[in-house]
Amino acid sequence: MRKVLVLAVMVVAIAGLQRNALASDWNMPVGVTEISRSVYSLHMLIFWICVVIGVVVFGAMFYSLFRYRRSKGAKAAHFHEHTTVEVFWTTIPLLILVAMAVPATATLKEMYDTSESDLDVLITGHQWRWQYEYLGEGVSFFSNLSTPSAQIEGEAPKDEHYLLEVDQPLVLPVDRKVRFLTTSADVIHSWWVPAFAVKKDAMPGFINEAWTRIEEPGIYRGQCAELCGRNHGFMPVVVHAMEQDDFDAWLAERKQQAASAANSVDREWKMDELMAQGEKVYSTICAACHQAEGQGLPPTFPALAGNQALMDDLEKHIGVVLNGVSETAMPAFSGTLNPVDIAAVITYERNAWGNETGDVIQPSDIQARLSSE
Amino acid sequence: MWQVIKSVLAAFFGVQKDSRRRSDFEHGKPIVFIATGVVMALIMVGLVVSVAMMAAG
Ligand code: HEC
Ligand SMILES: [Cu+2]
Repeated sequence: MRKVLVLAVMVVAIAGLQRNALASDWNMPVGVTEISRSVYSLHMLIFWICVVIGVVVFGAMFYSLFRYRRSKGAKAAHFHEHTTVEVFWTTIPLLILVAMAVPATATLKEMYDTSESDLDVLITGHQWRWQYEYLGEGVSFFSNLSTPSAQIEGEAPKDEHYLLEVDQPLVLPVDRKVRFLTTSADVIHSWWVPAFAVKKDAMPGFINEAWTRIEEPGIYRGQCAELCGRNHGFMPVVVHAMEQDDFDAWLAERKQQAASAANSVDREWKMDELMAQGEKVYSTICAACHQAEGQGLPPTFPALAGNQALMDDLEKHIGVVLNGVSETAMPAFSGTLNPVDIAAVITYERNAWGNETGDVIQPSDIQARLSSE
Repeated sequence: MWQVIKSVLAAFFGVQKDSRRRSDFEHGKPIVFIATGVVMALIMVGLVVSVAMMAAG
């Protein structure tokens, strides 16, 4: 009777485990690429091998503890070595390890084969956003977190994709081999999309390679997977995978936009245009440190609102934004923002939150300054 | 010499008979075991590398 009970408990426990392991909420995703599926099946294979080993080893242990307990008069055996048994328990793990290593190595080999790609994307990690550049296409943009700060501060209910949404996702074609080249402009980040089984470190001064071939159109989400500072949890990855035709149309449109952005540097910008653009740039990039209302977080992050010394020194203001301040957290933006955004954000800072200098900085001036440096 | 090689192989594997261990300690010189161990470790590295090269093909 008791044996039957024990058996029943074990069966229920194992069935429960299996249900949990297969439910996608608990387990890693199967994903939408051949590689992600083989990673998933490797994971499950190794998981079940571990389960069997665990059940056999602990089963034998608990059975012996129970069956040969001292109150039943069991006597411990005293012996020093048993070569056969030792060989036996060394050989079995060896065989199991080899059995797991063979398929795992085959999958790794495939993952590392980045040759013959149809499309190359350079992914650069920044504190704290991703930059995507379609190599050879002249299309490059930043992908910023788009979750409103009210949700982050707990002042508004969080939506479904809280902290997993961006202003501009990476757009990729399906059924094409896409090669990712990852690197970083500052500290080590890691570009991770579980549905592709791609996770690659982005390191300053190095270029790492990875690839994927997405099989289903859709939106896939991931995160930075390497602790990279204060807003590490605020630089998600969003990939929008679409059919080749749609992708081509999208890319053509982006190229068009890039061309017209270049034109717009040369024209004369009005104050309200610059203010509108500057507010956008400020809230996505500068507010993380200088705060939403320009009040800063002294003494680390200086206030910009009511900063009279700064308002009196336009040259310094432009210089700091272009070149950063070395040895501090203030980054140089000459390489990461375009002249329009730089001119706009400086104009904004000089005319918002009670700053009333009336200065209008033209993108063409910034452009001239950048090319003379 | 064969005895030494067998003992080094047993050490690689991690299991050795007590009787053989005793006789090794009574008869052999340590330097012989150490030298054989180093040479065989190099041979093993070579083997692993060539298996890896074959697999990478
Ligand atoms: C990672 C944090 C961080 C970000 C993002 C950041 N700053 Fe700064 N900023 C700083 C720090 C720190 C200083 C103070 C440097 C120092 O000690 O001189 C600073 C100083 C400045 C100053 C000079 C203030 C003064 O009183 O001297 C200006 C102007 C400025 N930042 C503008 C910007 C603009 C514009 C952006 C967005 C495009 C921006 N910052 C984004 C950290 C940041
Ligand atoms: Cu990061």
